[in-house]
Parts: sequence; structure tokens; C-alpha cells
Amino acid sequence: MNRKICIKALNEKARAIEALAKNETRSVEALEDGTKWKMPVGCTTIFDTGWETNPRASSPVGNCQPSSHDYLGCAGDCWWPAQSPDGLTNTPELELICSSIARDWRDLK
Amino acid sequence: MIYTWADHHIFTVQGGATLFGVDHGSLFSIDETTQELLSRLGGKLSLNLAEESGADREILEGLRDARLLVPEGVKQKARPVDIEIGSVPLTTMVLEVAQECNLRCTYCYAEGGTYGKQANNMDTGTARAAVRQLIEGSRDQDRVTLVLFGGEPLLNMAAVRAAVDEAEIMSQLTGKKVFISLTTNASLLDSEIIDFIHQHRIAVAISLDGPADVQDANRPDAVGGGSYSRIVGQLDGLLKGASAAVAARVTLVPEQWSRIEEVFFHLMDLGFHEVGIAPVSPIRPELLPNAEHEERLLEGFSSLARVFVAAAKTGRILPLSNLIDLLARLHMGQTKSVSCGAGYGYLAVDVEGKFYLCHRLVGEESFCVGNLSGGPDAEKIGGIMKTITCGKEEMCGSCWARTLCSGGCHYENHLREKLLGIHKGSSCSFIRRWFQLGIEVYAEMKNAGLDEMLKKLEKRVKC
Repeated sequence: MNRKICIKALNEKARAIEALAKNETRSVEALEDGTKWKMPVGCTTIFDTGWETNPRASSPVGNCQPSSHDYLGCAGDCWWPAQSPDGLTNTPELELICSSIARDWRDLK
Repeated sequence: MIYTWADHHIFTVQGGATLFGVDHGSLFSIDETTQELLSRLGGKLSLNLAEESGADREILEGLRDARLLVPEGVKQKARPVDIEIGSVPLTTMVLEVAQECNLRCTYCYAEGGTYGKQANNMDTGTARAAVRQLIEGSRDQDRVTLVLFGGEPLLNMAAVRAAVDEAEIMSQLTGKKVFISLTTNASLLDSEIIDFIHQHRIAVAISLDGPADVQDANRPDAVGGGSYSRIVGQLDGLLKGASAAVAARVTLVPEQWSRIEEVFFHLMDLGFHEVGIAPVSPIRPELLPNAEHEERLLEGFSSLARVFVAAAKTGRILPLSNLIDLLARLHMGQTKSVSCGAGYGYLAVDVEGKFYLCHRLVGEESFCVGNLSGGPDAEKIGGIMKTITCGKEEMCGSCWARTLCSGGCHYENHLREKLLGIHKGSSCSFIRRWFQLGIEVYAEMKNAGLDEMLKKLEKRVKC
């Protein structure tokens, strides 16, 4: 089906928006496991598990919070992919350069 | 990725549908399949494109590229834009050169031209100082507009001449282009004034309401006599050899709204370069229209719009300012974050050199925002803006026309809400239908391939 037949720019603003979309490419693509759950696969280095220790007394003691999540629920739809960026070692100015992770994550180097 | 709908509105007309993207002022033509999809999925709060069927996904991707589907979390609630008052250069100044008038128009919002004060004229020093402030306040802008207004400005030709002279001196000194326009009832025009207007390339807006019976009923002189024949007698001289546009500016009371077409063609036949028609401001409760009046007004504009399109198809632009201006904005996809320039790039100066938010609010002390000696009071302007936009966020937030209208005329709102005690938004329905008419006319012109003609309109709104 030709998309152009379905929706066609009428005014100049619509034309500008269409032109913008033409040059758009995906800058990133999430890796998926290919199952119906489309679970993310792997993680990037900037999302290294943090160093913040887990103060809980229970097992695994002394481990960081994100990685304890990994241990406790890393199968099927319980997989826990959203580790926090490491604000101690790799990205000490995390709050300054990435105040909103959903918006500014590209700024993390 | 999960998407959500950006605010949009669909206009269906015979032979197709037009989709309006509210945030960007974008207009798209859509086919029946897209229309069907929008009615089926348009109410869904979120959409995962990957889960939609192939055919739907294709259309949805088109809508995503048109920015009508946006990633979830990106969409923000529409809110009034907070513009720092002093940050906008001054580009238009209205000089109330005479706060008196020789006519006694029945609907005058300026109380016979005096704005509720003692009849008074601006002295030449004030006129010159105002022009200098306009030039200084315009900062890096290379074009400014000076409007000579009243009352009846021709009652004070000394100030008119001084302002024009100062504008030309300042233009020479700074290299800025100063557009000068004069709004007059034209009853005092004579050959000397006409020569002056031609020589200085002054654009003229003549307040003339149509055929003699309408004009004389609306705009009698001080002793109750008609003004039509006196004005029309001077028109030929003004139009002949005009070096800038001569426009008719019509005001009609609700009982006359059924005569719009007749009024327009009468004024066109008189040779005006443009005709703009305004429904009267309800300065008194009896001037407030009812639903039936508004219906007549829209019918009048609709039938003029049909004539406009028919003429456009033969290569002619009918000089109806209201529609031309709207089409130009729609063509460019221009959106507004404030309803007009009042208080930002636009100020009025009264005979005493006091600044007001706009020419219509002159004399309303709560809208006085400084004076020529101290300059515009940014803090006061900011305070007024906050007060008059209060509550709009809620009311306009869900309106599809918000980026075209942005709240409407401050003066009209002030009259309706403060003086007549009517609830906010009493003119919204009319305003929306007017924009809808414009969008329909625009789509029809586009579909008829009148691109070149629409391109010609661009210069009316290009900054």
C-alpha cells in the first residue's frame, strides 16, 4: 500500500513535517529476544549495574540493588532490564547531564 | 514503541476529509481508509504499532510521520506560553492623534472618539516622541508599523504631519522601513490631505459600513445627518493615484449581519482594494448577538466564501480581508501562542502620551501600561497578561482551535466578561466555526490546484 495515498500534506507546515519524517532514521534499535514477549536482550555499558550497595540484611547481602533484582527475577516476563546508570564511577554528573532518563539518555557517554 | 494521539480534528466535506494537527497547525488530506481507521482507533489512549495489523500499521506509520501519533510520554498538556514581556521588540504603535470625532457612530467603543475623557488632541511633540520610541523599541527589527488613529485623526492634521515627518526622519537615520497607516472615517478628506496621503505612501483604512442606508444608520454625524454621500464623494480622488492600499473597514450590528454579501459587493464596486468586515463589539447588552444572529453571520461569510472560491478558480482573488488573512495563516500553518501582539510588540499611545495595551483599551485605566517619559512598564504588562489569560489554560486546553485563536481579542473578552458579566468563552463556538470555514475553503482551493494563488498570500503573514 502506498502511504502517500492515505495521507497527503496540504499546507506548508504539513509539507515541512513530511520532509522532516523523510530524513528520519532510527538512531537506536532495541534488541529483542524474538519471543512474543519481545523481551530486551543485553544491556549497554552505560547501564552497568550500579555500585550502590543494598543495605538489606537478606541475601544476596551487600550486593547492589539492580543486580539483586537480576538474581531474583531474571526469567520470562519477570526479567528486570532497567538498571540505573552508574552515577558513581562512569557518570558522576548524571543528574546534570541526564535529569530525565527517558529524554536525555542519549547524552550519557 | 507505544504511541499516543496528538490533538487533531477531522473536517469532513463532500469529496474528502481534512485532518488538522492542532499543535503544529498542519493540514493533511486523508482518504476514506484513514478516516475509518481514525474513527476506529482515534479514541484509544495508547497504541503499540507492532501489535496492529499490517494495513493499519502502514496508515499509523503515516500518521506518526505526520506527528499526529507521538511517543507516549512526549505529549504534554497544552499550556499558555510564558513570554518575557521585555524580550519582544516593539513593531507596531498606534497613535491616538485625536481623541475626538465629528461622527457619532452608534456602536463606537471609544465613546464618540474621546475614550470617555475630555475631547483632546495630541500635540506634535508627543506625536514625534511616540514615533521615536517606536523606532528605539524596535531594536533589531528592520520594519515597523505606525498607525494614525483616533477618534478621527484628520481632526488633528498637525500631529498627523508631525508623526509622518518624524517617521521619515527616523527611517532615514536608521535605515528602518516605517509603514504608515491611517484609519479614518474619510468625511474630512480634501484634495490637500489626499495629496499628502499619496505623497507619503500612507495606507488608508476607511470606516465605511456599506450602502447609504446602512452607513447613515450606523455612522451619523453630530447632528444626526448621514455621512455616506460626503465620504463617497472623496473616494475617487483617494483611489486614483493611490500609492498604498485603500481598504474599507466595515462594522455591522447583528440586525445587519444578513446583509454581508450586499455590503461587500457594494464596497468592492466603489473600488476599494480590500474590504474587511467585523461584527460589532457588544459595548451595550443590546448589541450582543443571539444564536440566530450568529447563524446569519456565518451564512453570510459562507456564501461569500463560495463566491471567493469560484472567483479563485478563474484566477481572481476577491479582496475580502477576513478570508485572505485566514487563508494565508492556514497556508503557512502559522500557530499562535498569544492571541495578539497587544503588550508585546504592539502598543497604543493616547493624546497625553500614556501607553495602553492596545488601541481598543485606551482610556481603561487598568490597561494603562506606562507612558512616553518612562517607557512601557513591563511588570504591569506582565501582570495584566496573567490576569486576562487566567482560566484559559483549562478552557482552551481541549479546544482544537487553540493554536489558531489562542484566546481571542482581549477587548472583546473584557467587554463580555467584565462589563456584560457573561461567562468566559461565549464567542468560542462562532470562532471555531469561522476557522472551520477557512479550513474547508483552504482544502477546496488546494484540491483545485490553486497552489500558485495561495503562495501569493504568503507575504501577508511572513515575518
